[in-house]
Amino acid sequence: MYEQIAKNKAKSVIIIIGFVAFITVIGFVLGYFIDYENSIIFMIFALIIAAISSFSGYYYSDKMVLGLTGARPLSREENPRAYYMVEGLSIAAGIPTPKIYVISDKGMNAFATGRNPQNGVIVLTEGLLENLNDEELKGVISHELAHIKNYDILLGTIVAIFVGMISIISNIALRSFFFRGGKSKSNEKSGGGILSLIFLLLGILLIIFSPLIATIIRLAISRNREFLADSTGVLISRYPAGLASALKKISESSKVRTANNATAHLFIANPFGSKTKSFFSNLFSTHPPVEERIKRLESMSLGVGV
Amino acid sequence: MATGVFIFLAVLVGLIIIAIFVTIGMYNSIVSLRNKVDNAWHQIDVQLRKRYDLIPNLVETVKGYAKHERETLESVINARKIGIDAQTVKEQAKAENMITGALKSLFALAENYPDLKADQHFLKLMDQLNGIESNIAYARQFYNDMVMKFNTKIQTFPGNIFAKIFNFTQKDYFEIEEPEARKPVEVKF
Repeated sequence: MYEQIAKNKAKSVIIIIGFVAFITVIGFVLGYFIDYENSIIFMIFALIIAAISSFSGYYYSDKMVLGLTGARPLSREENPRAYYMVEGLSIAAGIPTPKIYVISDKGMNAFATGRNPQNGVIVLTEGLLENLNDEELKGVISHELAHIKNYDILLGTIVAIFVGMISIISNIALRSFFFRGGKSKSNEKSGGGILSLIFLLLGILLIIFSPLIATIIRLAISRNREFLADSTGVLISRYPAGLASALKKISESSKVRTANNATAHLFIANPFGSKTKSFFSNLFSTHPPVEERIKRLESMSLGVGV
Repeated sequence: MATGVFIFLAVLVGLIIIAIFVTIGMYNSIVSLRNKVDNAWHQIDVQLRKRYDLIPNLVETVKGYAKHERETLESVINARKIGIDAQTVKEQAKAENMITGALKSLFALAENYPDLKADQHFLKLMDQLNGIESNIAYARQFYNDMVMKFNTKIQTFPGNIFAKIFNFTQKDYFEIEEPEARKPVEVKF
């Protein structure tokens, strides 16, 4: 548990540094083409933007994610059942009670965000609150509390913001390449031809592959994490069958409309629905197959233990 | 010859430094676990206090409908008093078992008074009591988890040596009699 927390914090730092470096390089390459003499200025500009966005990413990423997914705060009067459960289970998990948000969507899913347990937020969809019984909802909430306790939320939320930003930047960059591409070639001195060709290729590759890189990072951090949160969650709820049955229901439900590529890995189960079973979608799936998770949960028997 | 003595001294000093660091590390980790146990106990205490605050209110409400059921009412009040006065974890657990038992007979008694059962105030108190009781169960779960970690730390090697040196003793589990509340779970990672 404690190694997991330390690992997550370390990974978050590495990802922030990597992101800043990545944006700086992109800035330099971009600057090289748009304005050859002033490429350093472009780079510094990119560095500043990257630094500011990582800083705000650390402090405000949870709010950005909540905004992106269209979540709103849930009041106690509106759903006392959810409040009782979240309060009770956070006592069992030994963390402060997180804020509760809800997404007005009939699809069933849930995620957690925030930068640490003191600023944790748990987000549930309306469909989830309506369709799960007490034991199932407790299972889902425990799973999310496990993410909060493990600091998965810090890493996951930062990655969500960065993936979103990288895809925006690569879109802008791709467009500016098409816009400037022809002109810069005619302006060049003959000596810099090969070098600039290399840079051009590198730049295009970088920009084309940046969403792919982002996806790979996302995959690397999220798959195992779900198994771990399942087992930590069961330690909180003490009832593996609840979560197993909830996962079954969630996987059969419709998709969540406000989920997108940047936020998909945050959810408890794939928010796009697990119906698509092609090789490609499996390869890029941010979540382990639900069947596998249920199998593992069912193997956690009620026996001698804590 | 002089170099031999020097190496010997250097190794000795090195070993002493390592031993000091290991001791500091072990001591700190045991203390931090002990603080976690204390904090977990505090969480239970918060919930227990909520229940103590609610009981007089409940008793008054029941009295309004069932004045002559003095025995049951008094047993609830007495159990509460014992709970408030409890000093150790074991005493507290015993008192809580008494309170839970007394409350059970109070609710059984309420079955005989349809007016009481329909009383809005009574229903609201019942609802709150249920919420508090489930929170007590959760807090107890967390506390017992922490106690287990602490006890394991000071019973296993090398923690047991340091526990002896610094005089750390085992903590008591907060145990409750209900058999269904004690269902343990085994989790494989």
